[in-house]
Amino acid sequence: MPAGGRLLLPGLWLLGGLSCLLAAAGGDRRQVTLQYIPGSNSSSASLLHVRAVGRNDTLHYVWSGIGAPTVLLVYTRSESSALHVNWTKLLSASPAGAIWIEPPGSVVYSTAVVFTKVFEYNGTNASGLSKGQEEPFYPSYDLAGFSWQIVNQTALMAKFQGMNTVDPGGTSHNGTISFQVTAYEEGGRDSPLPRLLHTANSSKVEFIMDSVAPRGNKSRFLLEVVTVEEKGGHKRLQSVRSIDDEYTPTIFEMAQLVSKPRNDSVGPSFFQWKTTAYGSRDASRENAIRCRYYPLQTANRTLPGPSIAHAYFGEGLGRSHSIAAINISFSGEDGEVYAEKGYLSWSALLGFGTPPKDAFSPLVMAIVAVALGTPVVLLLAGALVVLFARRKRRSQYEPIN
Amino acid sequence: MVEPGGEEERPLLDSAQNDCPPRKALPPLCDPRRLAHRLLVLALMCFLGFGSYFCYDNPAALQTQVQRDMKVNTATFMALYAWYSWPNVVLCFFGGFLIDRVFGIRLGTIIFSSFVCVGQVIFAMGALFNTFWLMEAGRFVFGIGGESLAVAQNTYAVSWFKGKELNLVFGLQLSMARIGSTVNMNIMGWIYSRVQDLLGSTGHSTLGFTLMIGGVTCIFSLSCALFLAYLDKRAEKILCKEQGKTGEVIKLTDVKDFSLSLWLIFIICVCYYAAVFPFIGLGKVFFIEKFKFSSQEASAINSIVYIISAPMSPVFGFLVDKLGRNIIWVMFAIVATLASHIMLAFTFWNPWIAMCILGVAYSLLACALWPMVAFVVPEHQLGTAYGFMQSIQNLGLAIIAIAAGTILDSRGYLFLEVFFSACVCLSLIAVVMLYFVNHLTGGDLNWSAKKREKLQKLAAAEAEKREKLRRQKEDDLVKLQPKNDFSLRNRYLSKLGAQLPDNYSSYLSALAHRSVLK
Repeated sequence: MPAGGRLLLPGLWLLGGLSCLLAAAGGDRRQVTLQYIPGSNSSSASLLHVRAVGRNDTLHYVWSGIGAPTVLLVYTRSESSALHVNWTKLLSASPAGAIWIEPPGSVVYSTAVVFTKVFEYNGTNASGLSKGQEEPFYPSYDLAGFSWQIVNQTALMAKFQGMNTVDPGGTSHNGTISFQVTAYEEGGRDSPLPRLLHTANSSKVEFIMDSVAPRGNKSRFLLEVVTVEEKGGHKRLQSVRSIDDEYTPTIFEMAQLVSKPRNDSVGPSFFQWKTTAYGSRDASRENAIRCRYYPLQTANRTLPGPSIAHAYFGEGLGRSHSIAAINISFSGEDGEVYAEKGYLSWSALLGFGTPPKDAFSPLVMAIVAVALGTPVVLLLAGALVVLFARRKRRSQYEPIN
Repeated sequence: MVEPGGEEERPLLDSAQNDCPPRKALPPLCDPRRLAHRLLVLALMCFLGFGSYFCYDNPAALQTQVQRDMKVNTATFMALYAWYSWPNVVLCFFGGFLIDRVFGIRLGTIIFSSFVCVGQVIFAMGALFNTFWLMEAGRFVFGIGGESLAVAQNTYAVSWFKGKELNLVFGLQLSMARIGSTVNMNIMGWIYSRVQDLLGSTGHSTLGFTLMIGGVTCIFSLSCALFLAYLDKRAEKILCKEQGKTGEVIKLTDVKDFSLSLWLIFIICVCYYAAVFPFIGLGKVFFIEKFKFSSQEASAINSIVYIISAPMSPVFGFLVDKLGRNIIWVMFAIVATLASHIMLAFTFWNPWIAMCILGVAYSLLACALWPMVAFVVPEHQLGTAYGFMQSIQNLGLAIIAIAAGTILDSRGYLFLEVFFSACVCLSLIAVVMLYFVNHLTGGDLNWSAKKREKLQKLAAAEAEKREKLRRQKEDDLVKLQPKNDFSLRNRYLSKLGAQLPDNYSSYLSALAHRSVLK
């Protein structure tokens, strides 16, 4: 009988799970403000600035739809660091240096994540892409060519909605692609699936495709994500397999891009996601869409412009920074979940520090403890009773001899 | 012709034999007295249950397909299993009655087989028409036939093989059941993909056609039932034997007389099986998602429990018979099952290890648990006890199946495995309590076979003595009621857990209950 050929990791998961329960709780409260910065009069361009002030430090997340949707993550060792924007320069042909943090000396670490393109391909065979077979790709959606508007802003949440301006009457008419940003003041867990565990040092981005008409019977979508890391640093792709699927039922894998560990208190930056997307507004297990990712491409990548990453990191972006790209595909392995409702949502968490890791819930631990404990207690109690009964019986009858 | 019942059961006047037509010489295959003919009957008997076992686990083999094509969540999916169990909560009290009093074994078997067939067809129609409630209705009808058919199947076995190769026959029937389940697990996915190639797409009609093809096995079993009925009728004419009967008497008022030990055995049974069958029902997706198995590999590992128990059941049956100490075996089986569930829940170890342990433990438990009932219940209540056991087992399975589906949807497999482990722990608690209750009350459940044999001899001698005494005392009365002594001794011996010859065995009727034996 084929044993599957895989002797999997011997499980020290129980220990690991317990220890990371403490780690995940880390990251104390932060004062979070979500600020909408409108651009100059005529243009619809705008920025969303999430400023999370903690003790002795400030995190800046700068979201923008100028060019490709981008988020800048900046860690500063100052409670009063501030974002400055030179709008005329930002909207000009050479935006280098249009965005900066004041005072510049407080910046400890910065990184950026850019969502560049959405590909659509005909996935007759779900695993075809991984086997390296040629898949018929349709013309891709270049997200830099979309016009992005902020809709639906609340205290800690905002949604960038993109309309295809390149091809207004085209296939994606009425359909929207949006990125919903959620900032967190403290650690916790969202209630809708995939219920990612977050810290105060992180925020969530949800990639949503709504009513984008598929161009084929078996259309599958693929999102390209590019990360920018400072010179010397580079992102690594990790797959964290966990036995714990309590919060995201039947999903046992977390994928994450983690930068080189740092010696200071910040820790690395991370971008993590559970390997699932959902095909309905109210996500549930039966409308889950399998999410795959492909190896990280680091060689000879350039960041197509424009984007605020160019504005922040400056001219030498290609030379002085390491750029990595990853493709994430959403392919219902069996069936066309997207085609049913024309909806797809995929969540990822980005932030600083060690990436959060799920731990056993107290309920699980309580059930295990009670379930395993009771038979043992009963065995001991029973043994005592039997022993006692025997002694009593023996004492009643005197031996004859 | 030697009557298996011995002297006491032989009618005083050989009137029946006188009506027999003179026997002509028949070729061996057609002569009911010859082994060749009985082997033919045996083959028919085995295939009689094949269809129902094959189709019972159809949902498990096609879990992803059913959920996708019918667009149902796991809780609703598991209702397919629950609907199979619901009718049997009540029916297992009446299966024996229906066969003995209403239909007779031949007609009964045909009727139950038809129910299975019709049920499977309705089930497939539900998929074809994309109506899930029709699928559930199909499973309900299927359930009405399925369990009772197993009772009928075993009654046939008793009537044809009593006093001959009965244990072997039961063993073969069980193995056939396992083979049915295993073949189903491994072939349905393949059939589905072929139908998908044919129709060009997935969808509810693909599922419907696949299930219709699965239903062919039921038609096959129905034709076995018809042929068997013909052969049985013919044998009745030639051999002048009676129609087979389950001989089971159900008296619900007996329930109040059940001992604490029996109730503990019920708890063990319900909790244990609740942690095995619903798990197998949901297992395929678990192995695909957590262990990255391919669909075929997942089907294979999901059927390993059945594959292992086919050859292991006779081995363990023999072992437990020889060694006694049933409670220790049951405890061992439960602990092994717990270990395997914990392994599946908390580690990424190769799941083949855990599933093989589960398979072995499950076979061992079946062999050690069911004879215990015969030790703690007087013979005349055995039918009631087994009927009751099967009833609450079905109730438990139905409820747990739905609960398991709901848990999976909302909290995932880790929690589900923890839940199953808790169920196994509950049966562990029950068996520990049973051990002490038995110990304190001086019960015989945990005696070694040697001790049982010794006591059996002693008891037999004593019974003999008493019999003599009684014969001397009430000579006339004994002559008038020859059966009385037999049943008295029989009952006494069976209470001791003595190994009786097949034809004396008091719990033969109990063998007719499939679920308990599963």
